[in-house]
Amino acid sequence: MAAPLKSGLDSRIHSVEVMQSTPKSLSALSSHCEAERKQLRQQFEFGAGTRNTLRGLCRLADRTFQQLFDDVLRSYHSPPKRLCVLALGGYGRRLLFPYSDLDILFLFASKKAEYEFLPLVAEISRSLWDVGFRVSSACRSIEECEAIEEDNAEFHLALLDRRLLAGDVKLYEQFDARVLPASERQMHPFLLAQLQSLTKERLARCGNTIFHLEPNVKDAPGGLRDYQTTAWLRHIASKQNESAGAPSLEDQDAANSAEFMSSIRCFLHYSNGRNDNVLTYELQSEAAQQSLGIADGAQRSAADWMRLYYRHARTLNWRLLRSLEERTPAAQTLRERLVNTARPPKLQLVEERPFAVRHGMLEVLDHMALADRSEMMSLFAEVARTGVPLSRDAERMIVHILTHEELPAINIEVKWETLKEILAQDYPGVALRSMHRVGLLAEILPEFATIDSLVVRDFYHRYTVDEHSLRTIENLQELASPKDERAENFAGLWKSLERRELLVFALLLHDVGKGMPDPKHINGSLVALDLAARRLQLDTQERDEVRFLIEHHLDMSETFLRRDIFDPESVAAFSQTVSTVERLSSLCLLTYADFKAVNPEALTPWRQEMLWQLFAAASNHLNRSIDSDRLHAIREAKMLDDVVRQTPGATRVDIEFFLEGFPRRYLLTHSSAEIAAHFLHCKKLKAEPVQIELKPTGHAYSLTLLAQDRPALFAMISGVLAAWDMSIMKAGAFANTAGIVLDTFHFVDLHNTLELNPGEVTRFQQSLAGVVSGRQPLEPLLKGHTQPGHGRPPKIVVQTNLRFDDESSAHSTLLEILAQDRPGLLYEISSVLSGLGCNIEVALVDTEGQKAIDVFYLTKDGTKLTREFQDKVTAEFLNRI
Amino acid sequence: MKKLEAIIQPSRFESVKEALHEVGLEGMTVTEVRGHGRQKGHTEVYRGREYTVDLLPKIKIEIVLPDKLVTSVVEAILKAAKTGKIGDGKIFISNVEDAIRIRNEEHGEGAL
Repeated sequence: MAAPLKSGLDSRIHSVEVMQSTPKSLSALSSHCEAERKQLRQQFEFGAGTRNTLRGLCRLADRTFQQLFDDVLRSYHSPPKRLCVLALGGYGRRLLFPYSDLDILFLFASKKAEYEFLPLVAEISRSLWDVGFRVSSACRSIEECEAIEEDNAEFHLALLDRRLLAGDVKLYEQFDARVLPASERQMHPFLLAQLQSLTKERLARCGNTIFHLEPNVKDAPGGLRDYQTTAWLRHIASKQNESAGAPSLEDQDAANSAEFMSSIRCFLHYSNGRNDNVLTYELQSEAAQQSLGIADGAQRSAADWMRLYYRHARTLNWRLLRSLEERTPAAQTLRERLVNTARPPKLQLVEERPFAVRHGMLEVLDHMALADRSEMMSLFAEVARTGVPLSRDAERMIVHILTHEELPAINIEVKWETLKEILAQDYPGVALRSMHRVGLLAEILPEFATIDSLVVRDFYHRYTVDEHSLRTIENLQELASPKDERAENFAGLWKSLERRELLVFALLLHDVGKGMPDPKHINGSLVALDLAARRLQLDTQERDEVRFLIEHHLDMSETFLRRDIFDPESVAAFSQTVSTVERLSSLCLLTYADFKAVNPEALTPWRQEMLWQLFAAASNHLNRSIDSDRLHAIREAKMLDDVVRQTPGATRVDIEFFLEGFPRRYLLTHSSAEIAAHFLHCKKLKAEPVQIELKPTGHAYSLTLLAQDRPALFAMISGVLAAWDMSIMKAGAFANTAGIVLDTFHFVDLHNTLELNPGEVTRFQQSLAGVVSGRQPLEPLLKGHTQPGHGRPPKIVVQTNLRFDDESSAHSTLLEILAQDRPGLLYEISSVLSGLGCNIEVALVDTEGQKAIDVFYLTKDGTKLTREFQDKVTAEFLNRI
Repeated sequence: MKKLEAIIQPSRFESVKEALHEVGLEGMTVTEVRGHGRQKGHTEVYRGREYTVDLLPKIKIEIVLPDKLVTSVVEAILKAAKTGKIGDGKIFISNVEDAIRIRNEEHGEGAL
């Protein structure tokens, strides 16, 4: 123990001597460093290039360090043996920002050497501080570096960017070529796990989004840390796989983005006079004024300059996320490697398509097949259907195909029928985000490109407009598994929404007007919709539904925030704008998704509750006022013109006569083409007293039946459907002043009878016509089909609930029935009602999972039901159902 | 100095905010709250499920202001928030001993 003590004492004596002899030279060195820093700053401000500045700062630090190291070593009369100094981290990469720390490792051949040289290390560190460098140093013996420091992964990561700064070259070579590689096999799995966990924590701290109003250009998602982390992940993976990929175009893009971020960080350091990397609102304006990081030097507004920032941030963040997603294969033995070479990882093929699922991601098997846009769209439809994301390679390949100038593209014109295959699925957000990333969304929907990375500088919207729009769709997608009770209300609406694709399309376009000159962005969005609808070939009704949602996308939030939602007049006024329950559901979901995508705090529980209360009140208002709101066709000039145009030979008066007295809901829920078809059916009633129209609609069928009104008509139709084991999802019964009944039913063919036996379609229609016209009795058909035990046992139990309402309608009593849905239920309900002599004026039948929700507008002998009669109906229901 | 707490209908908030700006008051703290006074809850039945709102949504505005502004501010709130219906809300006024601006430790009305 005596020798080290003596040596240590000697060192301290030397240290005092050095201290006494250096102030003058240190002062000169400090002045020199300051002058050179000033010069580098001026060069940066005159546009010398960020890389030159960072390298210049690094060279200055290197030179200064070398000089101080030599001086101190000389004063110790010690040769540069058993000690070397390494530059680590950013300094190791020769990229030193103006106010960044110098990360330095003092590496010793042994613990003994460390003890001997400690005073020297202290002296160098002090001197560096004196000449204006912030030093962050560590001391390790070579032996210590072989062990994993489990609580200090950052140190091991910093070592990945090491380089020799000064000292014993042989010691460094021993460390670099022998010691570190030997521990790599153990170190890399640990580093990989630590890096992934640290990165996920960091991204989560920043809300997993690049879109911060005042981002930290180093640590926030999309910042320089993302670029470096990707480099580390790849470095570790390449060491494990013993292969390093050649730099790609994507790497070049990322390097450019990192260069842009570096120029901002350098600018921030100089502007703040310290290591502060937050790009504040004020400095955004200054950076934009200086055209910072822009090659063309053209001046842009702060918002436009931030658009560039977000594009670069997106490039870096996307690359990092993909690297994190990639599974790094575990270390394999030689035998395993040989076996696996012969047997590649398992692929799940997708029905003869040129893509397959591997490791939970979709990969493209035949890249050239994607030159055909219909194949490419089917790939994204698969993503939207399953929620399985594309692999990074697949996305990169698609970018390559989309941007390749010589590759012939086939079926480049995408139509609505194809696009809606994506929009109507359970995971449209996963597909659309990917399509946006690769540039396909902008190709199909150039209108969306106007909001690409567009910033709204209002301190309310946290995200760029494109990100906001995509998040709205993801918010709906997440309703598949709601996280709290409030969300469950909206989840129920989402699950039962019929035309999802129209809502998702409206969300894609609702804010594109923000990228257009019109100060009222809704006007711009509507113009964009018209262009897109024409190009994609949406039919008029579809376009009108989307138009309504875009035009009124702020109405619901404005109503619940600025009107008294418990005031029936406010609810009635709002309901009048919305006009149908179907539109109300879509608008409510749109408002929910839109609010939630503004920023994570925007949709407070308070607001969610207000939104839901308004929805419930408006829904009830619409359902309960149907029969008071009757059509007077003469007042519907535009609609009449449209219908007349589509019915050759018919006069306006004929159409007016047909429409007179139907509930307005009929007009609002049918297109002019459908009304024209119904009119033509009506004209044929004299020849054939029952007119039937049956259409397949996706997984279900739509049935429209016209006949002269007669007792128990609705019950008969329901009975025939029950007899054929058709499960009724929705139904509506309307009648006009002339006594023509128009009933619509949406039903699911439980046993695929009609699909598998085309001949049965005719027999089914004949059966319907026979029963409704009275030529065929219903009872024999029903035998064995309507008992409560018939069909599968229910998954949830729904209590039967009856509620009468005499106030909502001026002419009828409303009966709302909730019951366990089962085949034949509607027949039983309607036959009870007709058996008691009730007339069904209007019926609205709906199902929600296994719950049947039926609303009937009833009269008896032309008037409302008396209280006593209501009790009789209740008793009969309790007895029968 | 006085502290003024106004509980108002959410639908009247924009009007109240504008009225306060007109009398020269810029700063306020706004909270989304729930509660009820004489106005009782509201029940809506949707698809057989009863949604009862016992505590109605309201907006609470808190302002600390010099004594001389109290009358004009109260008048502004009354004018903008009053509909004459039950549930319009209430205003509570209390004394404040001191106010301190954290940035420069200024005390009293100057800190408002």
